[in-house]
Amino acid sequence: MSLLLILIPLISSVFLLLARPGAVRTIALVTTLANFAVSAFACMGFVGDGSFNHEFRLPWLAEAGITFRLGMDGVSLLMVLLTNLLAPLIVLSSYGKNFDNEPRYYGLVMLMLAALNGVFMALDGLVFYIFYELALIPIYFICAIWGGQDRIRTTLKFFIYTFVGSLFMLVSLLYVYLQTSLPAGTLAEAGATMHSFAWEDLVQVQLAPGAANWVITGFFLAFAVKMPVFPFHTWQPDTYTAAPTGGTMLLSGIMLKMGIYGLIRWMVPLAPEAMHTMAPVFILLAVIGIVYASIIAVKQSDLKRLIAYSSIAHVGLIAAGAMAWNKAGMQGSLIQMLNHGINVVGLFFIADLIERRLGTRTLADMGGIAKSAPKFATLFMIIMLGSVAVPLTNGFPGEFLLLNGVWNYNMWLGIVSGLTIIFGAVYMLRAYGLAVFGEANEATARFEDVSTREFVVLGVIAALVMVLGFFPGMVLNLTDGSVNRILGAVQF
Amino acid sequence: MTALLILFATAIAVLFAGLTKNRQFLQPIALAGSLMALGATAYDLLGGNPNPWNDMYASMFQFTPFALAFSGVTLLSTVLIIGLSGWGFRNLNETLGDNYGLILFSLCGALCMFSFTNMTMLFLGIEILSIPLYVLAGSQRDNLSGNEAALKYFLMGAFATGILLFGIALVYGATASFDLETIASAIGDGRHSAGMLNAGILLIIIGLSFKVSAVPFHFWAPDVYTGSPNLVTAFMATVVKTAGFAAFYRLFSIGFAPAEDFWSLPITAIAALTMTVANVTAIFQTDFKRMMAYSSISHAGYLLLAVLAIGTTGSDRALLFYTLTYSLATICAFGAYIAVSEPNNDGSFSAFNGLSKKQPLLAAVLAIAMLSLAGIPPTTGFFGKYFLFTAAFAKYPWLIVLAVINSAISIYYYFKIIIAMYFTREENDYVVSIPSGVRWVVLAGLLLIALLTFIPGSVYALI
Repeated sequence: MSLLLILIPLISSVFLLLARPGAVRTIALVTTLANFAVSAFACMGFVGDGSFNHEFRLPWLAEAGITFRLGMDGVSLLMVLLTNLLAPLIVLSSYGKNFDNEPRYYGLVMLMLAALNGVFMALDGLVFYIFYELALIPIYFICAIWGGQDRIRTTLKFFIYTFVGSLFMLVSLLYVYLQTSLPAGTLAEAGATMHSFAWEDLVQVQLAPGAANWVITGFFLAFAVKMPVFPFHTWQPDTYTAAPTGGTMLLSGIMLKMGIYGLIRWMVPLAPEAMHTMAPVFILLAVIGIVYASIIAVKQSDLKRLIAYSSIAHVGLIAAGAMAWNKAGMQGSLIQMLNHGINVVGLFFIADLIERRLGTRTLADMGGIAKSAPKFATLFMIIMLGSVAVPLTNGFPGEFLLLNGVWNYNMWLGIVSGLTIIFGAVYMLRAYGLAVFGEANEATARFEDVSTREFVVLGVIAALVMVLGFFPGMVLNLTDGSVNRILGAVQF
Repeated sequence: MTALLILFATAIAVLFAGLTKNRQFLQPIALAGSLMALGATAYDLLGGNPNPWNDMYASMFQFTPFALAFSGVTLLSTVLIIGLSGWGFRNLNETLGDNYGLILFSLCGALCMFSFTNMTMLFLGIEILSIPLYVLAGSQRDNLSGNEAALKYFLMGAFATGILLFGIALVYGATASFDLETIASAIGDGRHSAGMLNAGILLIIIGLSFKVSAVPFHFWAPDVYTGSPNLVTAFMATVVKTAGFAAFYRLFSIGFAPAEDFWSLPITAIAALTMTVANVTAIFQTDFKRMMAYSSISHAGYLLLAVLAIGTTGSDRALLFYTLTYSLATICAFGAYIAVSEPNNDGSFSAFNGLSKKQPLLAAVLAIAMLSLAGIPPTTGFFGKYFLFTAAFAKYPWLIVLAVINSAISIYYYFKIIIAMYFTREENDYVVSIPSGVRWVVLAGLLLIALLTFIPGSVYALI
């Protein structure tokens, strides 16, 4: 089952990369839907006690203790669901555009999907690292081939930034790996001890305090760049703006969750010894990021850039909640990862629809869309409210739990993080007001309402915003067992 | 040993066949000979030959699994390079036979450098490898920069040989033997003159650093790489480098292992310098071949990590895996470079503009080769770096951090090619066609790169 989630998009990607232009969109859509069906199927018969379901093992490099191993607990399953839920929406949202080399675009998206699923399911350190890097190559090509202005410089900066970050993670992983020792199996020379990359073996390693600080810093650099956390965020607004919308959705909807997932699955469990000294620094950086990005978002005139900065703010809160390492914080971060993924994909799609119709992303050139496109305005409002975390939308339970978690960790940090809700309301409502209400100008008066296909995408997202707002318990139950297990096993 | 004999016989056969008018047979003969040698090596390596003639020449050759595996790597590289030669050597009609002969003779030297147990044989191996190369570097007689390359290479090579020989003489003076095992036991027992030994080892390090183009003994490399004919450059960057490092490793792991406390410091310094200087310089290159020259110097820096890791389980395997992945990627890259630059007489990065539209296969292969050289997962280059870094990590953690930073720097210049091929919208009107030789070689290289990605253990377990 786990393997299928990687193999289906991988095979489809090879096929699409070699294909001639034709029915490639349909193939891509069918692939993502099939993958979603598999991940939904994986939920049935899922044992939520925190153990790894649907495990798959294949010896890869037995001499060096590397096994191709996949498996899902509640946390992984949630991420896999998010990935495969958003993938069809992302493919559908790219339908309306004419790319000059369509098969390659969808082929790269499929490759990306395979890598993302691999990241969330890998239970072997090196396999995780490889998938983590593999996800970078297709998104780099997507952004640099089909991106907008200044794409080459921006995306190279993005690539080098994230690659350097993950190389430090590799060094940390290697260090922990070399501390593992298993009794020599039949494969090793007699008397030698073997090392292992298996998640359980890595977690068991006791690190010396000094070394643990270095190890955790290596991991943090990789994940902080990916999310991004202040002050490692400088690549993000440029890249989000320059990337084609499909690429931005992949980056913001799914890829940044790799960083937070990495915190929960790898960083803290592997080096809990250092959390006592380092966690305050990390959480403080995350909280600074919340305030800093929110203030910049309020000032933005470009809709896509505004969403990009709002994403930094939201992710800062999620990261702070996860690193507070208590029940409320972690549950909140998990549910909010799902919600943020859904909302941000919706918002970027809306920004793209506006840009396609008006040819501009500047808020000052919009206004009065509500009159000419009421359906669009309504769907926009629902998604926007979800992002602001109004009660009964999906953002609310997540932010509530997150703030609760950060508050439990430190009251003052909780209060400062709370600003995110106020700022969020300010910049989102400002953007919504400027875009949708007010006087229509010549261009916005002829604003076409959503087509059926666009309605399907936005409708599904808006429905999810409301359903998850009414019934957050569905998600919380899914991850409850795993969260208890992780928090019980890793304490500091 | 079988492989060595086959190669030698083939080289002579090609040399004589070159005297006749039937030049179309030269490439097939050279290819068949090196394939046979590759087959014989594989047969020996997999245990088909219980006693691979190790007692000949007073046992100064020992074809251990180590030697056989590295012979396999260089033979494979040579097969691929000869495969490219139908295209790459097409301007060398009168001297075609000599070219194949010299390449094969040079390879004989490489095989000696993998299997020596005696420093005399090491020296002979290095000379057998180098002298044909001095000639090959200048084989385009009417090419001015080719002549410059040959002269520079010859002068620097001769200079390095002198230093190396002096070092060998000093070590002989200190330990009274040329035999590696005897030297090791003499050092271990303390029956040696320490000052003379250390001076000897230092001179040998310098001599070998010249040969493998490690900083600060690398100044000849960029000019020689750029001036030589493309395929000779590919040969230097792959076979010669592999041979140099295998000899380096063999000499230090068997002969000088007990003196590690002394030589680890200078080699650490050379490794750190080599990686950093070469990577930073490569950033500023605008010519593909010059960039590849600096890239090859920087890989020398990483490969020195294997020498530093001597004594750690798996350091020899790491060296083997790295040289193999590096050779494959380099040959693929040169194949693509020859197809792009030779017909259009332009070797700058902009010659690659828009290649992904003109020749998607060639662009994809070159992109994968660049990703592999940069060590980006999941290409084999990553596994090569991974094995090397793991082997040296326990002893030299900070050097590994430096190596990691350097791999990050290298992305910048490797990606320039990818950017030119895929993202640049300025077109050039160059016509790029793929000759069949290039097509088969790059496809074979691609297949091997893919195989190594999925089953890295296949090579890793050979020795």
